[in-house]
Amino acid sequence: MRKGSIAFSLFWLSAAWLILALVGTAFLLTDLYSRALDSNLISQLRFNVDTIVSATLDSRDPNFADIAVPDSRFNRAATGWYWVIRDDAGDILSTSGSAVGMLMPEIEAPFDVENYRSAILADEAGNRLRAIERATTVNQRPLHIMVTGNLDDILRSAGDFRGQTLIVLGAVGVALAIMSAIVARLALRPIGRLGTAIEKVREGEAETITGSYPREIAPLAEEVNELLRSNTQIIERARNAVGNLAHGLKTPLAVMRNEASAAKDNPLAKVVTSESNKMTQLVTTYLDRARIAARTSVVGKKADATTTMLRLVRVMEKLNKNVTIAFKRPDASLPWFRGDEGDLEEMAGNLLDNACKWSGGVVAVTMFAERTPSQQFLLIRIEDDGPGLTEEEAQKVLRRGVRLDEKTPGSGLGLDIVKELVDVYGGSLQLRRSVLGGVLAELKLPAAKVGGLVRS
Amino acid sequence: MRILVIEDDTNLNRQVKEALTEGGYAVDVAFDGEEGHFLGDTEPYDAVVLDIGLPQMDGLSVLEEWRRAGKSMPVLLLTARDRWSDKVQGIDAGADDYLAKPFHMEELLARLRALVRRAAGHASNEITAGPVRLDVKAGKVTVDGQAIKLTSHELRLLSYLMHHKGKVVSRTELTEHLYDQDFDRDSNTIEVFVGRLRKKLPETVIHTVRGLGYQILED
Repeated sequence: MRKGSIAFSLFWLSAAWLILALVGTAFLLTDLYSRALDSNLISQLRFNVDTIVSATLDSRDPNFADIAVPDSRFNRAATGWYWVIRDDAGDILSTSGSAVGMLMPEIEAPFDVENYRSAILADEAGNRLRAIERATTVNQRPLHIMVTGNLDDILRSAGDFRGQTLIVLGAVGVALAIMSAIVARLALRPIGRLGTAIEKVREGEAETITGSYPREIAPLAEEVNELLRSNTQIIERARNAVGNLAHGLKTPLAVMRNEASAAKDNPLAKVVTSESNKMTQLVTTYLDRARIAARTSVVGKKADATTTMLRLVRVMEKLNKNVTIAFKRPDASLPWFRGDEGDLEEMAGNLLDNACKWSGGVVAVTMFAERTPSQQFLLIRIEDDGPGLTEEEAQKVLRRGVRLDEKTPGSGLGLDIVKELVDVYGGSLQLRRSVLGGVLAELKLPAAKVGGLVRS
Repeated sequence: MRILVIEDDTNLNRQVKEALTEGGYAVDVAFDGEEGHFLGDTEPYDAVVLDIGLPQMDGLSVLEEWRRAGKSMPVLLLTARDRWSDKVQGIDAGADDYLAKPFHMEELLARLRALVRRAAGHASNEITAGPVRLDVKAGKVTVDGQAIKLTSHELRLLSYLMHHKGKVVSRTELTEHLYDQDFDRDSNTIEVFVGRLRKKLPETVIHTVRGLGYQILED
């Protein structure tokens, strides 16, 4: 559990509340218990007072020493359990065995309507005492009969009780804290699963979020899926619109250009030719750009680079009968491309087209993976045995919008679109000299975390 | 050489037809997929220029139908959709080459020449038969290095025979491949042109195979 997480806050909130509640409960219980002990003591002392009063009444003599209270603590010295009979003037007429030789304190408070009074006193031994005194009359002689019990005994057992309560409640608290931590984890686990599912979509391992989620977060998963769907639809629509626009514009442009170039010497034809050429360039540039813009938000796609390259090689071999394309088929462990299949076709296709166009008859395609600790890349190398490029020319070609072969009609290197796409995917394109003699173009593209294992 | 052009844009259709006619081809045109499919199915063409976006029946379907029916003439696809997936789709449907709009007419001609040449089994733009040399690209004929002048009909006839040298070509086949649909086909005109050609070329180049047709022998 990290700080700042829901589980962390949940755990500490419930733990703090538990500690407060349990400590409070311990003190409340102890208080109730000691009150119960005290009232029990008071009623016991009252009973003793009443017993002594009735014994005195029976014998009619307060000095009658043989008053039997059935509790041995009244006979042992300094126990805190005493009884004393005094006369009106406060002189002691008789005491329990335990009080012999002790100076007994007196209660200051007035008697209540039932002729009782009560107080907390202390004896010479330092015991705190709960004292009950009753005023009565024997043979027309007013007497004060006081009985005391040891309050420290009660306080001690209340203290013991508090200790035990704290231990028990502490154990309960620990158990509850563990449970709340487990509950927080369990309750939050679907959120973790949802996060993993969304990551899979981003990685291109899944197209939508799958699995069942609890009612609270199921709408979230549904919304994310809906978002992905509408995203795909928007992109699809944009692509279709771009395609339609292309078709709509390119045919009239072709007509204008052809018509004008058929009448070369006409000044109007010259203007039409140069302007329609500009328009063609603009249309191409902006259509490419629109296509790239439409695809930057494509998430959750991956493509098997091997089948894509096989397809491209097949097509290029058919189109260039005089070129042999050596394609070393990589093994099935080659990771997939993380992105749109059409984009991969666009990048590799243009490079392969260039290689075939310039080659003297041999083109080679190799593919492999490159792994860094943080990421995995897919590398596609396309080389030819053509004239090749100098270092300087290669730099020039890689700059945007530069063509080396502007004089040859319809043979732009098509590298602009390749470069833009490579940038979109965060890959790289390098041009070097090939051992075959011509250009070696190396595409470095992000690989999907998990490739598909099935390859038709 | 007889070419079929299927393109729904009337202006582009006309331009391609004009350029091809000027390049020495006999040209038939169609403006929609169904008409184009029918023509390609029933007439013998040496190559087809096929637009993908067509009314009635799209270009790829036309092409697939032909290939299913065993038609093997070379097909050059014209399209505004120049994504690689479109190219792959077109080639997989049976196209032999692919040209994105807007294109330069010279490129269309060059690609078409290459297709026709390849279909006839020739590797270069020059075809020779004995002392006769035909430059397919320039439309020029030389005999022992000396340029000779031919009319466009004579050139078409010689070009067809040279492309198919070694093979006996019947008069009907020649009529079918040298003239477009609307031409008044009279096989006697073939004999007239062969006669004129023979006068301009060495006597032994074009052989008559009695009852079957004409032949230019392999070297």
